[in-house]
Amino acid sequence: MTGEHEAIRFENASKCFVTPARPEVWALRGFNLSCLARQLTCVVGPSGCGKTTLLRLAAGLDFPTSGRVLMRGRPVDGPPDGVGLVSQEGTLLPWRRALANVTLGLEIRGMGRAERRAAARAVLQRVHLGRDVERSYPHELSGGMRQRLALARALCPNPRILLMDEPFASVDEPTRHHLQGDLLGVWAADGQTILFVTHSIEEAVYLADRVVVMTFGRTVAEIPVSLPRPRDRLSQEFIDLLLVVRRALTEHVDEKGGDV
Amino acid sequence: MKAKRWIVRVLLGAIVPVAILVVWHVASVGSVVVPSIGAVLEVLAHPLRDPPALDSTSLASGALISVLRVVCGFGLAAVTAIPIGLLVGRSRGAMDMLSPTMAAAMVISPIAWIPVAIIAFGLSSPATALYGDEHWRFGLLDQLRFAIVAVIWLGAFFPIALNAAGGAKRVREAHIEAARVLGATRRQVLAKVILPSAAPSIVTGLRVGGGIAWRVIIAAEIFPGTRGGLGYMIATAHEQASYEYAFASIIVIGAIGLVLDGMLRLAEHRVGRWQPKER
Repeated sequence: MTGEHEAIRFENASKCFVTPARPEVWALRGFNLSCLARQLTCVVGPSGCGKTTLLRLAAGLDFPTSGRVLMRGRPVDGPPDGVGLVSQEGTLLPWRRALANVTLGLEIRGMGRAERRAAARAVLQRVHLGRDVERSYPHELSGGMRQRLALARALCPNPRILLMDEPFASVDEPTRHHLQGDLLGVWAADGQTILFVTHSIEEAVYLADRVVVMTFGRTVAEIPVSLPRPRDRLSQEFIDLLLVVRRALTEHVDEKGGDV
Repeated sequence: MKAKRWIVRVLLGAIVPVAILVVWHVASVGSVVVPSIGAVLEVLAHPLRDPPALDSTSLASGALISVLRVVCGFGLAAVTAIPIGLLVGRSRGAMDMLSPTMAAAMVISPIAWIPVAIIAFGLSSPATALYGDEHWRFGLLDQLRFAIVAVIWLGAFFPIALNAAGGAKRVREAHIEAARVLGATRRQVLAKVILPSAAPSIVTGLRVGGGIAWRVIIAAEIFPGTRGGLGYMIATAHEQASYEYAFASIIVIGAIGLVLDGMLRLAEHRVGRWQPKER
């Protein structure tokens, strides 16, 4: 049963890929997860554990081999309405200037030029990008600015669900902390449901209401994070939680072998 | 500093043309075959004058006829080759079906198709199709011989199609998926992602195809059965030993080719300006 306030649900979802090197690669194996509306869930796990695959299934870009994925109670059969996706790098359209990248979603919906530009400018402001970047091409911006732009593009059509695939992995630490702060600010104001995938335990504990630990295509632990925000990364409670998540992760990885 | 560099560039670019003019002048002194620079300039200075001893139209109308033929053949090639190229680039089935033929046809000189085109279309033109025996009354339409247009189309088609296919194939899947997640339909993905992403390759193909079309037209017009055009003027000038007209035609061909290439180069620069410059 899917509750009314449940935004994302994976029901026994499995995904198998066939590659030239190996006949069967199981990225997800009977994966179950339920994300409540307005909740910020972080999925943490080692490289190759199926994190990106689970976001692709939620975004309707791929389909489970068995089981199903429901977004706001509806089975996913293609990219669902009201969902934004932010990836690690390289999904901004390089031939569009910054403002045109942000307006893309609204342009696709047929919104008028003046209206969508005004909406895009408001979103750019929220992610702390000034009007001076509007006419820049993505390659003219720094890595951090590009990620802010990607976040702005996903936010512009006002999605109710945000899927984020290691969006801040390629930027330096101070920029990453700023971006995390921006994301929390947007989330506090708008209350989207966020499913955030990362390999950084520290990032997961800093952002999440709940950390889902994943290894080898399965959920191995769900750890609620009830620390008040803004969280102090140096506090004892924060460090204790880091250790809890790390222990859950390493226990299961060590059992089968693999990178953390 | 910029002005100085520009002057140096112009001076460097002028070295070869000036050398050609010097060699030409030396060769023309006392020659009955090589016309003097003055005689050729005289022809170029009066482009609307019908050549007195030549069975041909004026230089200007010859240029107009050649340009019209290229515009029709090249336009037809662009309209057909771009969609087919995009299809080949995006569909595995279309690629398997068409790419061997395209690769083979690419290496055949378009001039080799001239006899085939003449057999297929004869002397027919839009004027013969529309007005039958009265076709000769409709000069310009009658000059647009289907055989010539078909040869230009063949010459320009393959470079345009292959470049469009290459551009469409290189579109990053991540960009398509980004548009799909934002709600784009297949048509919107084509218009907002595939076409703009492949545009620099398409314009490069148009530039290559345009160059080939302009070279092919001259060869096609030299073939028997053609009337009008710069190629025809060169052929008749040669037959009737009015070499100043042949030389003037060659200069006009070069000048028009330069303008055509300049326009396409500008388009190439405009559609590719988002690409980071290599250092």
